[in-house]
Amino acid sequence: MILEWQYVTHALPFLLQGALVTIAVSLLAVLLGLILGVLITLGRRSGYNALRALVVAYISIVRGTPLFIQILIVYYGLPVLGLDIPRFESGVIALSLNSGAYISEMIRGGLLAIPQGQLDAAKAIGMRSGLIWRRITLPQVLVLVLPPLTMEFTGLLKASALLSVIGLVELTRRAQEVVGETLRSPEVWLTTAALYFVMCFALGAVTRRLEKAAAVYRV
Amino acid sequence: MTFSFSIIADAWPIFSSGLLVTVIFCSVASVLGLVLAVPIALAQLSRRWYWRAPAKILVEIVRDTPFLVQVFIIYFVVPALGMPMSSTAAGILALSLYGAVYFSESIRGAILSVPRGQTDAARATGMSYLLILRKIVFPQMMGYVLPPISNQLIGLIKDSAVLSIIAVPELTMAFQNVLGTTFAAPETFVAVAALYWLLTSVVALVMSRLERLTPTHRSMRQATSLFAMADR
Repeated sequence: MILEWQYVTHALPFLLQGALVTIAVSLLAVLLGLILGVLITLGRRSGYNALRALVVAYISIVRGTPLFIQILIVYYGLPVLGLDIPRFESGVIALSLNSGAYISEMIRGGLLAIPQGQLDAAKAIGMRSGLIWRRITLPQVLVLVLPPLTMEFTGLLKASALLSVIGLVELTRRAQEVVGETLRSPEVWLTTAALYFVMCFALGAVTRRLEKAAAVYRV
Repeated sequence: MTFSFSIIADAWPIFSSGLLVTVIFCSVASVLGLVLAVPIALAQLSRRWYWRAPAKILVEIVRDTPFLVQVFIIYFVVPALGMPMSSTAAGILALSLYGAVYFSESIRGAILSVPRGQTDAARATGMSYLLILRKIVFPQMMGYVLPPISNQLIGLIKDSAVLSIIAVPELTMAFQNVLGTTFAAPETFVAVAALYWLLTSVVALVMSRLERLTPTHRSMRQATSLFAMADR
């Protein structure tokens, strides 16, 4: 079989628009996931046993079940609860609920890297725990967490392909539409894979640079 | 909103057959993936570029594209290029390839964790490449390869849910069938999530037991911490 690329060159702008949606959904999810991750970390360190147990259960459930199932549960489940949420928002919610659990694990790793001496010193000069968290811990943790966070963004770019199943018109969904119209499945899917590859590979390069930068900062 | 367990009980045959298919697919794909992963890891560590380059390209392509798109390429594109593909074959192939690449990364790391001096010494005594791998590298790397492999096995089980999209009758497909016929959303959600959670928890438990069984050499523990720094 001969590949005929002219079908794809026609469809390329259409696919690129889909890639923009993919990027938007993943970026929003990683930002909301970061907020959720910080909240989860705080909940995990709180003095309330019930809250801690709840947070641990949440992480276990999110990490122990497929993202695909979580996406379907959010998409079909929220209407059952009487909430009518459009696909884009529903996709962002599912991805960030998932991502928050993983990001909280990264934050936990970052917290372990902060020398106890700094926290002791801050306490010794009379800073309260909220202030220590805001001024000492969080700024440093965010720098340490930035490289894995970009890696999480890459993961979400790939994971967001699953949102095509709930009908969100992102890159994979657009590719399916182009295949349906042109019936040129090899060219379209190889192009789509190439587009994902370019996005993820570029972001991977950013991750490696940030890792180097964070390593310098750590010393 | 009421929650009725009888709906889950009625749909149990569908769920259990889906669970069985998921277990079979993941078992076959893990074994095939592990078998494939060793040569991929060795090729990436090779000194010769014509081994290194193809392995590196394969790893980068699989790591930088969504699993769903890989499944579509194997299921739709490979047949169009002249190789017929059932959904079972495509599912096993996609899952094994995906597993192989991620496993190979852990195996590569574990091989690197064996101190260089040992392999140099082995070569100096005249041991062949395969003998060094069999007698020096593989026995020692086990303790280092199991924790990441355990994570990746769990990842593989979760990612196998994607195969429902090409109509592999696994657990997620069963879930969608039950949801489509009963419209009992909360019950089916809880049932499918609980089954996946149980499956991944069992795998995590078994793997952590296995980890405790593998001896780790003390000199290697130091070597790993060095490797961890080099990897950052």
